[in-house]
Amino acid sequence: MSFLQPFLLWGLPLALLPVIIHLIHLHRRKTVPWAATIFLLAAQQMNRGYSRLRRFLILAFRVLALAALFAMVARPLAGGLLGLTGGAPDTVLVLLDRSASMEQQNLASGTSKREAGLTKLVGALKEAYRGRSRLVLIDSATREALPVERPEALADLPATWATDTTGDMPGLLQSALDHITTNQTGRTDVWVLSDLQQADWDASGGRWESLRSGFSALPGVRFHLLSYPTPATGNLAITVDRVERRSTVDKAELLLDLEVTRPGINATGDGEETELPIRFVVNGTTSVHKATLRDNRLNLRGHAIPIDRETERGWGRVELPADTHPGDNTFHFVFDKQPVLRSTILSDDPFSMAPIKAALSAPADPSRNYQADILPTDRLSELAWDATALIIWNAPLPAPDSLESRQLLDHVAAGRSLLFLPPDITGDGSFLGVSWGDWIETGASESDRISWWRSDSGPMANTRSGKALPVGEIEISRRRTLVSDGANSLPLARIESDGAAVLLAALPDSAASASAGDVLFLATPPGTGGSTLARDGVVLYAFLQRLLDQGAGSLGTALQREAALGSLGVDATKWTAPESPGEDPTELVSTDLRPLRAGILQTDGQLLALNRPTEEDQTRYLDTSTLGELFSGLDHRVIEDTVEDETSLASEIWRTFLLLMAVALVLEALLSMPPKKDTRTVEEAARGFKGGKA
Amino acid sequence: MSEGSRDFLDPSVLSRLMALPLHARQSMIGSVSGMHRSPVRGSSLEFAEYRKYVPGDDLRRLDWRAWGRSDRYYIKEFEADTNLRMVFLMDVSGSMNFAHDGKEENGTRLDYARKLAGSLAYLAAHQGDAVGLWAAGASGKKGSPSAAVNLPARRGSVHLGTLLDSLGQIEAAGETTLLQSLHEAAEQISQRALIVIFSDLFADAAELRSAVQHLRFRKHDVVVFHLLDQQELDFDFDRPARFVDLEGAEPILADPEDVGNAYRKAVTEWIREIDNIVRTSGIDYHRIKLQENYAEVLARFLLSRTPKKGGKE
Repeated sequence: MSFLQPFLLWGLPLALLPVIIHLIHLHRRKTVPWAATIFLLAAQQMNRGYSRLRRFLILAFRVLALAALFAMVARPLAGGLLGLTGGAPDTVLVLLDRSASMEQQNLASGTSKREAGLTKLVGALKEAYRGRSRLVLIDSATREALPVERPEALADLPATWATDTTGDMPGLLQSALDHITTNQTGRTDVWVLSDLQQADWDASGGRWESLRSGFSALPGVRFHLLSYPTPATGNLAITVDRVERRSTVDKAELLLDLEVTRPGINATGDGEETELPIRFVVNGTTSVHKATLRDNRLNLRGHAIPIDRETERGWGRVELPADTHPGDNTFHFVFDKQPVLRSTILSDDPFSMAPIKAALSAPADPSRNYQADILPTDRLSELAWDATALIIWNAPLPAPDSLESRQLLDHVAAGRSLLFLPPDITGDGSFLGVSWGDWIETGASESDRISWWRSDSGPMANTRSGKALPVGEIEISRRRTLVSDGANSLPLARIESDGAAVLLAALPDSAASASAGDVLFLATPPGTGGSTLARDGVVLYAFLQRLLDQGAGSLGTALQREAALGSLGVDATKWTAPESPGEDPTELVSTDLRPLRAGILQTDGQLLALNRPTEEDQTRYLDTSTLGELFSGLDHRVIEDTVEDETSLASEIWRTFLLLMAVALVLEALLSMPPKKDTRTVEEAARGFKGGKA
Repeated sequence: MSEGSRDFLDPSVLSRLMALPLHARQSMIGSVSGMHRSPVRGSSLEFAEYRKYVPGDDLRRLDWRAWGRSDRYYIKEFEADTNLRMVFLMDVSGSMNFAHDGKEENGTRLDYARKLAGSLAYLAAHQGDAVGLWAAGASGKKGSPSAAVNLPARRGSVHLGTLLDSLGQIEAAGETTLLQSLHEAAEQISQRALIVIFSDLFADAAELRSAVQHLRFRKHDVVVFHLLDQQELDFDFDRPARFVDLEGAEPILADPEDVGNAYRKAVTEWIREIDNIVRTSGIDYHRIKLQENYAEVLARFLLSRTPKKGGKE
């Protein structure tokens, strides 16, 4: 609890006045000569316990009333909710989850979780800290620390506006940790405003351990977790899985595969049907299709929208009627002629690379063309960089500042994939801080296995049906150690025997990292003499096709990306909204927000559809116990709120103390009330023989 | 009250009460003729009974009229009138110093007892009865002025003067020895007497019953003036106080609001026990509040002992 006039609390010892007065009275009692002491003693024996308790309670209530009075004039703030104690901290750090799911709103007021949380947070910061602490904002979309002059300014800052991004909460906390460590912020209150969506918090991720140890090493850091874990009711979400332009001799049409779901509710199977109008906008032309939502799910496959035969490329979106989460009611798409899914294997050992070439040539999508080539290392200059979705580098790593290295970095920055396989030749090069170490050979009889791999995302993630890939069955007899400086790499799979990474993701540290492609290091050769990856085939095929698919996202002139800070590359200003009749140009967002908001953008003949990450549609939230585990050992307090709750987080609660004082005084008065004198009985008894004769 | 003073006697009250004779409730064995019934037959005018003539009877007492009517010889007997011995047994324990609101100018319980005893002594002596004084309470206490007060019942104005002087001199102090004194009085007063007790009776009820029964067993006519103050019954204090025991026990800190009802309950039970003793022991019991006019109390007492018209004295 905090007080606006804390110096008045010095008067609290005066609450002991009743006790002092009582003690004085005890020594200044009137002396009465008394004869009938035998009855007085008997009465005292009868009433000893009650009398003491009553006296104690009366004193306690008097002290309580005075203490409440002093607390009241000191203007207390709602402490039970905020847990604010003592004076204001040196720094208040606001960590704002700006993920798309924070835009779920209260239909009546139109207030989103983010807005409701910000409003309450501003009120709480104003009341609780009253400008005595330095205020810094870090949001999940940009992860940049932004000093804020006044709490009232928070809601006006673009860094608190809505986005369609995902919220990497461990990353956000890491940013906070870095900021506190770097700037020596002193005693710090960290306010985290989030909806606790599981996908954002990644509770099973490996970063929490280091975060906990990092924060626990900092003295005076307290967490206030203002959470909104209530899912939006009656919400529908739409996603487009496939957009394909098909033309025949007499007509052209756009085929769409889309899915409408009610997040958080599984298909019930009760046959309940709901008529649902779906609005399609293609190149500015609108059409509405009425579909039937059955069992809370709708799959529309191959829905055809006629277009001009001359229209080969364009953009569009599908829309659902407004509901409690506007962010997932729209999905943007672009279309163009589909590019060839080209992959290039740079190796001087075509024989061992043959299984990889075969896996990359086999079409996972029969409607598309696949092409895989093996290129010797001395013919690197012939590589078609702009047309290649995946490069498999089975050669010594390039020197950090070499031409090859820069070309590879550009390739990754463009959003394409890059996989390094261990070369037999030892070199001095490295890429993104990762280099090859020594070979480890265990022999076929004592082969290693993979004990852990990341199954929630990445190239070894579980299938859509939730089944895990048989990664644990792969036998590895020969592998090469990976040497990493640790800062920019993330293990995706580990060996059972020594815990070494067998698959490592190197993370580009540029601003465009969100749009960058995957850079992976596979420590074992897939073919004979290395591992059973090629022999078993399933894991290798899924692994390579996912990498290829990931890299193909940036091929061609129609790009589909998730909204994120680097989704527009290094220069976001070159991206503009396409002109379209009927569209309101005022809806165009500022340059800073452009990569963070869903929509259609274009530049240099390229079309780009930005959408929210689909995991933002999930309605699984962290429960309190899991949250407690994530912050175990740290001074934290969870404040669970709802969008509908409009009460302030930090309000003056002097009324509570006034009520407390009144209750104490009433109880004191009741206890002090003299008991009804029962003199009638004794009078009647005394009258019985008055002047009588036995 | 000053030492030896007879201020407790009010001539106007005495003159008014002189019209009311003091009667014993039972026959008394006196040494001289008086106005009280005697267990032996005598020569008073009061007819007692007839009995058959036996040789040797005085022929003057033969009822000739009865012989004339029934041809049988009957002797006519008359009651004998005698005087009584009246012993005042004063409780002189410290509790007799109690005064209303603790102010002695209001008069203590002992002062009130003095007025009652002095007036009764005067009236009794005036009608020829013997009066005596027994100070019960500190009889064994050395140095106490009342320790030696033990005046046997005698007649005569000189003795009355001595008794009144002693009455004026006794002082209350120390713990009560009332019960012990009652037993001693029962043993030491050999002839039946009218024993008048003045006390607050703050003692164990069971032992009190035993002491009273002892007196009754010795055929004494027992009168108890139970002297209480209204404050002792009501306990109507309005603030906590330090209650100092008049008999020397430890002071008690008490809040009347806390203990008031329990006190009154204890007093009620005690009064009921006293009443029960009165019912079973046949004593003449008078519960007197110190706020009452003592002249009215005495008049009421004397009237209560006056034989009913037509009744047998």
